Amino acid sequence: MDRRKFVQFGVAAGSALLAGDVFGQETKPGAAPSRPSPKRAVFPGGQPAVVTPNGVTLPLKEKGGLKIGHLVAMPVKHTFAPGLEGDCWGYNGRTIGPTIEVVEGDHVRFYVTNKLPEPTTVHWHGVILPNGMDGVSGLNQRPIKPGETFVYEFTFRHPGTYMYHPHFDEMTQMALGMMGMIVVHPRRPKGPPVDRDFVLMTHEWKITPGSRRPDPNEMTDFNVLTFNSKAFPGTEPLVVGRGERVRIRFGNLSAMDHHPIHFHGLTFETTWTDGGEIPVSARRPDTTVLVPVGSTRVIEFVPDELGDWAFHCHMTHHVMNQMGHGMPVMVGADARKIDPKVQSLLPGYMTMGQTGMGEMAEMGMPVPKNSIPMGGGAGPFSSIDMGGMFTILKVRDNPDTADPKGWYQHPKGTVADRADAAAMKADGIDPDARFG
Amino acid sequence: MTTRSFFSFSALTLVLGLSAGCASATLPQHVGEVNDIFAARNRRDLAASVPQDEKDWEKTAAEVPKLLSKPLDADGAVRIALAQNRDLRAAFYEIGIARGRFVQAGLPPNPEIDFGVRRPNDPAQPLQLDIGIEYNLTGLLILPLRKGVAEAELAAERLRVAGRVLDTAYGARTTFYTVQARRQELDLRVRALKAFQAGYAAAEELHRVGNLPDVDLATQRAAVESARIDVAEAENRLLDAREDLNVALGLSGEQTDWTVEAPLPDPPAEEVAPERVEQRAVAASFELQELEARMRVASKRAGLAQTEGTLPHVSGGFHGERDGFAWEIGGHVTVGLPIFDRNQGTVLSARSEFGAQRERYLATATSLRATVRSALNRVESAGRRARHYREAVLPAREKALAETLLQYNAMQVSVFQVLESQRQVTQTGITYVETLLDYWNARAALDQILAGRHRGLALGPAGAAPSNTPSGGGSAEAGH
Repeated sequence: MDRRKFVQFGVAAGSALLAGDVFGQETKPGAAPSRPSPKRAVFPGGQPAVVTPNGVTLPLKEKGGLKIGHLVAMPVKHTFAPGLEGDCWGYNGRTIGPTIEVVEGDHVRFYVTNKLPEPTTVHWHGVILPNGMDGVSGLNQRPIKPGETFVYEFTFRHPGTYMYHPHFDEMTQMALGMMGMIVVHPRRPKGPPVDRDFVLMTHEWKITPGSRRPDPNEMTDFNVLTFNSKAFPGTEPLVVGRGERVRIRFGNLSAMDHHPIHFHGLTFETTWTDGGEIPVSARRPDTTVLVPVGSTRVIEFVPDELGDWAFHCHMTHHVMNQMGHGMPVMVGADARKIDPKVQSLLPGYMTMGQTGMGEMAEMGMPVPKNSIPMGGGAGPFSSIDMGGMFTILKVRDNPDTADPKGWYQHPKGTVADRADAAAMKADGIDPDARFG
Repeated sequence: MTTRSFFSFSALTLVLGLSAGCASATLPQHVGEVNDIFAARNRRDLAASVPQDEKDWEKTAAEVPKLLSKPLDADGAVRIALAQNRDLRAAFYEIGIARGRFVQAGLPPNPEIDFGVRRPNDPAQPLQLDIGIEYNLTGLLILPLRKGVAEAELAAERLRVAGRVLDTAYGARTTFYTVQARRQELDLRVRALKAFQAGYAAAEELHRVGNLPDVDLATQRAAVESARIDVAEAENRLLDAREDLNVALGLSGEQTDWTVEAPLPDPPAEEVAPERVEQRAVAASFELQELEARMRVASKRAGLAQTEGTLPHVSGGFHGERDGFAWEIGGHVTVGLPIFDRNQGTVLSARSEFGAQRERYLATATSLRATVRSALNRVESAGRRARHYREAVLPAREKALAETLLQYNAMQVSVFQVLESQRQVTQTGITYVETLLDYWNARAALDQILAGRHRGLALGPAGAAPSNTPSGGGSAEAGH
């Protein structure tokens, strides 16, 4: 297969990608494109309900002033991105588990049913609660055996952003996807109200291309980096309005890595940690927020530039999908000196990366089943050659009706393009200038 | 041919002519007798061919050039060997030797004439003349017995030579298989070398642009150079195998330019185990039949010795004497008295020879049964292994290679690992070829036993011969 055929294959694969479900498991065949949820001011002080991109909120029953929820720990078939499925564990049929959304002072009762092949518990990460409800197996409770249902009951006394996860064999259970976010809205919110409130949980996995089970034994070499257990192009974009106040709550239950989440096109302030609200006087503008392992960070911003803005972990390997390492660097090599000899034995071989690896996402090379090497998703100009912990903030004037799959239409003359030779000459620019 | 340095062709022709004149059978007749044995067994494919006229003994059989003009196959190799192998031709002459003994044994003893002259002391007396004729009557009486011994020896010799025919055919067939295997091995070694060369080309280019350290380039280079040795060794093995086949087929000069195109065939899908294989092998065995014939020889020889020992030596004759002026005519009979030498030692030797042959017969039968079981086991085992290589191992290796290539595309492994996987396919191919050779050799051995011969089989150790893995096989890691 020559490069032309590879590219043709890549175009076909890209078309299939566009035609398919770029947002993963939530879209059913034939369903209309998803739209952002309209703002729902359902919590005290007009606070909107949180949106969990690619996720859901746990339904709670109210009974005599008690809010009752049910979490079922269970094996989950999960799609990280088109082409990459995993045999994971999670809650209520998904990873990440449903977001628990309550209000400060809510008294809750959570039933936890274990349908895993091993015991589990639930630790309410960051929540101040009675010791016997903290969920550390052996220390605070006996483990929940397979088939058993335990009940946790406590009061959310402090507003904030928290997380939940197992505290029995957490290395395995978290590596397989058992985690979720908790949002406790303040009873009396302070500060400017927000228009949209999102939760994004970061995580990292090791899934060898061609396999399905995330590897709990991996210590360092993670190759699937996710927001809400989705890797780009499986990540659902966040659609917001220009001038709206937006809150994003980040949680990090990665096994080993912190994540510096970098935003394009705006600055923000970090307003909360899982320890509480940051005083206004201590806040500062940033474009990157570091979300440490085991922590939550909440940022707020008001975008004033329309467009499709990338935000992503700034560790460059965290915006790649399943790319391997240990191969020799191919940059600079002349494929003509390698390919004929290898292809005489293996006609399907083609040297890659000798001019860099940026275009490889478009090659559409046949790859192992159930893998999304390097990744990349369709963009309005070309393939976006990033994957992993990458998504898009879509700032629109009409966010409630905007098509989340649609691309920003740039006003004429506002997109960088090839420079005009005459204009360069007029500006004294010599593209052939030599240095050194 | 160095024969001419010892005697001229015309002289040889003269000798052969005289021989032909003296003997009642010629080489084609000897060959025909053996061919008849195979024809009776419905194995006309084992019929040997020789020139019809012994004067043409140097000429090549007409079918040989035809068979050599196209790529050889195993059956063709057997045909050539049966027509051209000079050791086999020599064996046929050995039938002539036995036949000569048989003819000789059937000839009656010659009469003896005795002349005598005496001069008396008395000068007046004339010369006295004696004349007599003597004939060995005992020799005439035991002639049928001697002839019977020689005839039994001739029959045994025919069976022995028939076994040589099978040996020759078997040797040609298995040597041909070896040529096929060695040629395939060479092709695969060359393919492995190409894989190392491809790895080295990649390493060289990556080194050139500063992406690979010297140590990795040197490691790749070392692997290539080692692989060249493997190819050279494989070439040598092929050349050796060709020469072995030349010997087996009796080829020399331009005749050695033959080619072989077909690879060793895959084993049949299902191996049918011959039924009653032991009984069939015993019934067909030339070795057992020859031993039976040798037992008959020993038995007849014992009978002959006993007769010679107990029958007094009798000879008779007539005598004439001229005494002076008149002839006196008379006769006589000479009778030996078997008092001391009654051939006891010869009888004892012949009876012991009979006993020895009988025990050899039983030992050979035991050995034959074990050998046929061993060959059958080998056919089944090697067949199963060969089919497993073809249907499971090779596809698995190829699948692994395809998946490795996909992993390469996914940037999970390097080109060096892809090439290592490719070499694994090649290596498996080499092992498959060795297993095929094991299988076809076992098949030939089983066929050989069922055709009547179980000695001299080269089953070798069980399992494919360990292939010579090119050194540097682990050098795929060199690239990263």
